[in-house]
Parts: sequence; C-alpha cells; structure tokens
Amino acid sequence: MRIDIESGLRRPKIDVHCHVRPMPDTDASSDDLIASGDAVGVAEFWCSRPITGGRLSPIEEVRRNNDDVLRAMGHHPDRIRGLCFVIPGHYKDALTEVERCLDAGMIGIKLYNQYHLSDPAVWPVLQLASERRVPILEHAGYPTAAEDLAQQPLISHGIHFAEASRKFPDALLIHAHIGGGGDWERTVKEMREASPNVCIDTSGSNLDDGQVEFAVSELGAGRVLFGSDGTMAGSVGKVIDAALTDEEKERIFWGNAERILAAQGAKPLRSRE
Amino acid sequence: MLIDVNAWLGVWPFRSLKDNTPEALVARLDRSGIDIAAVSLIEAIFHRNVQPANEKLAKAVQPCKDRLLPMATLNPTYPAWEDDLAACHEKLGMKGVRLFPQYHGYPIDGPLGRQVVEACRERNLPVFIPHRIEDARERHWMDPGKTVDLGAVAGLIAAVPGATVVVPNARGVSGSDLWQRTDLRDRPWYVDLSLWEPNREFANFLNQGGASHLLFGTHLPFSYAGSALVKRATLPLNAEGLADVSYRNAAKIFGLKPQAA
Repeated sequence: MRIDIESGLRRPKIDVHCHVRPMPDTDASSDDLIASGDAVGVAEFWCSRPITGGRLSPIEEVRRNNDDVLRAMGHHPDRIRGLCFVIPGHYKDALTEVERCLDAGMIGIKLYNQYHLSDPAVWPVLQLASERRVPILEHAGYPTAAEDLAQQPLISHGIHFAEASRKFPDALLIHAHIGGGGDWERTVKEMREASPNVCIDTSGSNLDDGQVEFAVSELGAGRVLFGSDGTMAGSVGKVIDAALTDEEKERIFWGNAERILAAQGAKPLRSRE
Repeated sequence: MLIDVNAWLGVWPFRSLKDNTPEALVARLDRSGIDIAAVSLIEAIFHRNVQPANEKLAKAVQPCKDRLLPMATLNPTYPAWEDDLAACHEKLGMKGVRLFPQYHGYPIDGPLGRQVVEACRERNLPVFIPHRIEDARERHWMDPGKTVDLGAVAGLIAAVPGATVVVPNARGVSGSDLWQRTDLRDRPWYVDLSLWEPNREFANFLNQGGASHLLFGTHLPFSYAGSALVKRATLPLNAEGLADVSYRNAAKIFGLKPQAA
C-alpha cells in the first residue's frame, strides 16, 4: 500500500524531544519550533535547555537555562511543556531545582552527558522522578568512533538504562534520539532487559531505514516515542514510512506520551481530535 | 512525476539493508510514489576493480530499466578507468557516474578528480559525489566513514566548467564554499533532499535562490524515503519550483523527457 504523506502529516503528534534557545532568542526560537511543528502536525512540544559537552556548570547557570524554558512555556502555554535540566552532581541543589521547575508546571526532567544514567550520583534524581511520576529524557547513544566518544565519555547507552531501571524500576526513562549518532541497533538491544518503563525516542539526524521498526520489534510499540530534536521533517517521515500498523504509529505519535502524562495526572495540552 | 537521484542496490557490509534488490526496490518506490530512481551497486565502492560490479548492475536493472537508471561507479586511481567509463557509457547504458574519493583515496579537486570529471563532461554524463554514505558517528571500524569536503567540490566545479556535479547526502551546504562562492551559482551543480533537514540554514539557502540547485533524493535503502517525502511535501515552493525539484531538474540531468504527474 502506498504511504500517505498528507494523512501522516495531519495525524496529531506529541514531540517529546525539543529545545529552545537562550534569551534573548527564546521567544523567536519557540516561534520557529511551533512553525516547524505546525507543518507536520505536532500539537505539543516537550522542551529543555541542557548544558552540553559534559560541562559541570554552576547551579545558577542551570537555573537560568530552566528559566528560559519556563519563559517559552509562558510564550506558548497551549503548545510548549518543559523538561527541567539538572546536573545530578549538584545533589540537593539539583533536587531543589527539579522541585521548583515541576511546581512551576514542567512535566519532566532532562539529563545530558555529565554522568552515566546509572551512576550513583544520579540516584537521588531517579528517586525523585519515581516519586513524582515524571519522565527523565536522557541524552544517549553508542558512538562507535573513538574521537566521538572522547567528546562525551559519559554519554549513556542501553546498558546504563537497563542498570538504572533495575535499581529504580518505576522510573520513566527515555533514551533520547535513536538516530542521534552511534550504533542504534546495539543500544536498543541493550535495552531489551530493562524495565517496561524504559522507552526510546525517534529523533536524530541519522535517518537509517528500519530504525523505528527495529525499536518496536525489540522493545514493543509501547516503548517508542516520537521525538525530533531539531530533525522535525526527517523524524516525522521515519515514523510515517515505518512498516508498522496504524495502531503502532498512533502509539508512537501520541498514545505513549499521553500515557506518560497520565502517570502524573496530566493530559495533553490539546485534544487529540 | 517523481525522480529519486539517490538510491542504491546491493550490500552494505556493516548493516543489513532491506529492499536492496531490483524487485524489492521497485516495490519500495511504488509504495513511496517514486517513478524513477538512479541506482549504483553499493559493493562497487569496496571492490578493487569496480568494473565487474558495473556489469552486474547493468544486467540486474535490465528487467526494470524504465524504473531504475544504472549509474557507473568509477575509481580513477585504478588502471584503465577510462576504458571502464567508455564501456559503462557506450555498452552498458549508464546514465551517470558516481565517485567516492573518500573511499578510493584521492582529492576530488586534485588532478585525478578533475581528469575523471572532465572525461564525464565530454560525454555529457552527470557526476555524483555523495557527501557521505553512512553517518560517521555509527561507523564500523573497517569503514573510513569520512565525508567529502564541500569546499573541495566547489574547487572541482570551478576547475571543470560545464560539468554537471551532484552532491547527494549533503548537509551544511549554505555555509560552505559550494554556496558561498557566488561565481559558481550559475554552474550546474546540485544537492538533494535526502539528509538535509529543512532548518533555518536550509531556509536561507532557498531564500537566496538555492531551489534551482535542489533535487529530490531519498538515499534508499540506507535511509527512509518518508523523510525526503515529508521534506518535499513541506517545501515552501510554488508549483513550478516544486516540479523542478521533484523531476524537471533530474530529467534534464539524465536526458529524460519530463512528464507531469
């Protein structure tokens, strides 16, 4: 059967992996994000402003980044939701920051590559996320080249998700960008033994054919979430083109994110219809 | 009509591909609404002597020659490449040439690169230089996994006036010499939609007239066709511009008669 791009674009979507730029570009970048999503049917965007490159920055900088996300949420309250970025090594300050952001309306946590997800330094954040029933979106992948790994030696991959989920089986963990670079087959296979609460998102600039089907066959359609991370058209096209049932695509584009929101008593910002 | 300038047949040594036989690829093209695809044989990249793979390709596409356009793989560092080119063009009916300087080990803007592109220009054959084959961040330890320098491609285009040069799988075009060298904007060079996300950089490219250098390509069966199809569906172009990107530019390159959908 011929794939129907137009109908695929009209299908409502929740994008669990988005970013906004720092002030003074926060409003403009969130406008750009909405425009790029409008063209492909994205109703809701989960945004964060992580500190990248493994840098251990002061807590004040972390708070400013999260303030940018809160601003974007205020700029588009019916479209943008926030994920609170923290560096787990800030310990009590990180936990306080998570509480501040969740209480201000954010619906999850964003972690980058300052620590492996399974590192004991991350445990208090995992514990808090489990208690609040909010997801953690972790920057992840399995870079195969030494020079790529050298740039982010503490990037997490499937093994770290499986290990973290054994310690915190109730934590809602999202492996970021299956196409974010690296051996996606390996990191997905490593996640097979993880808790059913461990998911992966479809984002990333690597558009290798078969990624989405592979994730569904290894993990189940209930553990794959639509995300873009700056590759909006490419990521939407992956799911539309994937050799999956209509019901499986519906779960990826909407149902699984809706279920994650429901765990904390929240609903999508807009009705699916 | 939709022409895909960037498709492949055969085996990639480092990952299992689906839809990589002529029959399966044509079925995938049907599913994707693509009428014609230009294809070369992946394994030719890795063979020392590329010509048997070119001969195998010509035979393989014969049953579906109205759907699959065979493209020669050439290695100008190997003896008698000129004979390979002549055979591919005159006997095997190849519609273009694909070069892989990052695999065959020569600078694309050096003497060998210029020589082979000049030879193709004399035959009115388009030259394809894929920017990358696979994402370098996932590369197998046996794969060089390198990208072609777009600045070097710009140098090549400047050095061989009249040559038609296509750079599939490119990203970062608008910041490169390929676009920044305004003296090359009237030359027949092209990039494709396959791996370039329509972001702000892409929008700048289009706003400055880049659509005339844009082709539809999927990178099937390495990449999802759906990604390129979504980009095409959301291009901010009028009907004429969209027709150029979808098939008119490609038809001109391959010497085909363009047909509206």
